Amino acid sequence: MGNAMTIPVDLVMLLAIALFVIGLFGVLTRRNIIFILISIEVMMNASALAFIAAGARWGQPDGQIMFMFILAIAAAEVAIALGLVIQLARRFNTLDIDAASELND
Amino acid sequence: MEYILFIIAAAITIGSSILALTRLNASHALIYLVVTLLALAVIFFLLGAPFAAALQIVVYAGAIVVLFLFVVMMLNLGKSSVEREQRWLQPRMWYGPAVLSAILFAILCVAIYDSPSSDTTGTMVSPKEVGTELFGPYIIAVELAGFLLLAGLVGAYHLGRRYLSDRRS
Amino acid sequence: MQFLPYIPLLPLLGFLILFITEGRLNKISVALIGAGSVGIAVLIALLVGIDFYNQEATPYSHQLWTWMSVGDFQPNITLYLDPLAMVMTGVITGVGFLIHTYATGYMWEEDGYSRFFAYMNLFVFAMLMLVLGDNLLVLFLGWEGVGLCSYLLIGFFHTEPENGYAARKAFVVTRVGDTFMALGLFLLFREVGTLEIQSAVETATTTLWPDGSTMNTAICLLLLGGAIGKSAQVPLQTWLPDAMAGPTPVSALIHAATMVTAGVYLVARMQGLYLLDGPALDIVAVVGLLTLVIASFTALVQTDIKRILAFSTMSQIGYMFFALGVGAWSAGIFHLMTHAFFKALLFLASGSVILALHHEQNIFKMGGLAKKLPVPFWSMAIGSAALAALPLTSGFFSKDAILITAEQHSDYGLLFWAVAVLAAFMTSLYTMRMMMITFFGDLKTEPHDHSKANMWMPLLVLCALSIVGGWFGFEVTEELFADKGMKALEFHFDPIALITMLVPIAGVILGYYLFRPQNRKSIEKIANSTAGHNLSRFFFSGWGFDWLYDQIVVKPFVAIAKLNKSDVVDSIYKAITAIMRYSYNLIVITQNGSLRWYVLNMSVGLAAIALLVVFVL
Repeated sequence: MGNAMTIPVDLVMLLAIALFVIGLFGVLTRRNIIFILISIEVMMNASALAFIAAGARWGQPDGQIMFMFILAIAAAEVAIALGLVIQLARRFNTLDIDAASELND
Repeated sequence: MEYILFIIAAAITIGSSILALTRLNASHALIYLVVTLLALAVIFFLLGAPFAAALQIVVYAGAIVVLFLFVVMMLNLGKSSVEREQRWLQPRMWYGPAVLSAILFAILCVAIYDSPSSDTTGTMVSPKEVGTELFGPYIIAVELAGFLLLAGLVGAYHLGRRYLSDRRS
Repeated sequence: MQFLPYIPLLPLLGFLILFITEGRLNKISVALIGAGSVGIAVLIALLVGIDFYNQEATPYSHQLWTWMSVGDFQPNITLYLDPLAMVMTGVITGVGFLIHTYATGYMWEEDGYSRFFAYMNLFVFAMLMLVLGDNLLVLFLGWEGVGLCSYLLIGFFHTEPENGYAARKAFVVTRVGDTFMALGLFLLFREVGTLEIQSAVETATTTLWPDGSTMNTAICLLLLGGAIGKSAQVPLQTWLPDAMAGPTPVSALIHAATMVTAGVYLVARMQGLYLLDGPALDIVAVVGLLTLVIASFTALVQTDIKRILAFSTMSQIGYMFFALGVGAWSAGIFHLMTHAFFKALLFLASGSVILALHHEQNIFKMGGLAKKLPVPFWSMAIGSAALAALPLTSGFFSKDAILITAEQHSDYGLLFWAVAVLAAFMTSLYTMRMMMITFFGDLKTEPHDHSKANMWMPLLVLCALSIVGGWFGFEVTEELFADKGMKALEFHFDPIALITMLVPIAGVILGYYLFRPQNRKSIEKIANSTAGHNLSRFFFSGWGFDWLYDQIVVKPFVAIAKLNKSDVVDSIYKAITAIMRYSYNLIVITQNGSLRWYVLNMSVGLAAIALLVVFVL
């Protein structure tokens, strides 16, 4: 790979932050649980990007390894979350997250 | 050269993610999510992490999002759901979260620009190095990841059963 | 000699057995254990006494074990026997045994037979510890123990609320006295450094205050305060008449023969302190004299036979304090002994009368019982004769010794003697009134005497003791203290002695004429006149002490308690819980179960922390 111009890390971090904030915005705004999960995925990808950028900065594989763990976590989380979504849909017949607010005082 | 590619990919990422979040139809949102992930994979490649890029495409876009799609299709959301989403997604709901997000963005930017700036090395970290690390210092973490995935598997199986409340668990 | 600890041990064992078996034993066993434990204690006391007097009456102490060991303070449980303790032990066990025997018959029909004897045995144990204790801590143990048993026994018939109130009143009033006594003990310990009686008195009289001091007077007065409470003297005498709510054997044992004499014992024990220079001894005499007079006037107008006897007890104990105060120490203790005999006799005999009349206690509902109830009648006659100090009864010897010694007092001899003689006159007057109204005249209530041997045998024994007790008691108490008290009984033909001897006879004769059935109408006319009515009401209420205490103590206390009904101090704690609850109600708003709300909160928290990290750190 030719490297005439390398990418400044700041910019990549900026992108990561932007993605994270966008994901957060999505979590706060949407009421449909599927969209909330999608937003969470976006946030996770943002942090993964940050890790990869850090690994590229130092030229070490640790960043990619963290990315793989994030991947594993995301996979497990999605599996269970979608199971919960199915239960929610069956019990409440809706995907509105505010329907499942019985754990209050 | 990479710089320009990076800018383009970054723009696609942001645009696609925003689009993903603002759709009314779940399937459309998922497709846009796939686009986001692919753009991110390009960025990973530019950063000298081909292995991560490949994993991103194969696992994330190829398995996780597909899982999402399966569930969405299974839930059979029809036109009524689109209208419902429209009802829910009023502009006035966006103000508070927008403000909060802007504040957070600002703070984190300041945090980033406070620290000394530097460039990426531009060298590629090959999969071989990643593999050596994985089987070396990070072996325990790999095992733990396996535990986690097993737990996810069991949980997903249990939660996916029909008539969970009637049957004894 | 080694038998000394067994004297209090046996009643304690009796108490424990009856307490543990809790009414499951049959009545005969309970009677045997209850009266038998005290009976065996009498035998052991007799053995110890014979041994003691064979050893020339040298005092000795018998240590049982160390109670506690805290720094310099190591009180032991030690029993100390000297002539004073011997006399007291003899009285407690002897009269106690007779009363226990009587009670086996008196209480036969009542509920709680086993409980009664358990309490009585515990009382005998506590009283014995009081008199046999070598240090003031063991004495205090016995002091509190008898207070407890008094409370339990006064309120024995606990189904009637009145009895509970009477018991509570007795306990509270004696508590006031006990507080003074405790303060006295604290002061004494601080000054002298030990609570062992012999060494404390020794140190105080020889090293610390050989010429008296205000501290010593303070200690003496504080201890006197405790004695006043326990012995029902003015001003803490209001509990004794109400204590008659308990069963008659209780009144006989506790409120006539033993517990109320504990105060006299205390002052006699601390004789060394009182003999030092200071007003303490005169105050003792004045207290005794006041009580004497007030009680005898009050007894004159009472209608309940037990209350008459209660007030007479009060005045006789006033005699004992008076005796100690004027220096007739031996005579005072002698009077304690003879008083135990004849007062127990009077109470038990009146108990027989009450029982025969089915628990009727108003003397104006009695009458004409002389022929129908011979044993109680003659018992009361002999007891009254001793009480009035008619010549040659036991009471005669003790009371006259006191009066004659009083006259020889340095400052106020004649005054003391005159007032005491007046009170003696009143004593015989009201005693005669009681006898005449109860036993003579028309029959108002029909008696049914079912008493068996276990009730009239003790009466006979006490009759004998009331008559001859004076002679052998003289031997025993003559040299109790190194004073001239008993020498007064050597007969001189001087006017003081003659008047002292003849005044009770005069009172008896006057009483006979006033309260004869034929003259009763004229007495009633005097009593019902306005002056007579008001005077008799004043006397009847015990000279208004109850009313006085009600005004100055009870009413303000109740008013303050009502003011504080919502409890100022408690409101601090309530405020704490109220604040907790308020903040809880605030916080719980944040837990509404909505997931998006939680995410929002998390984001805000994240922003805040990021702010903190970036800008502050």
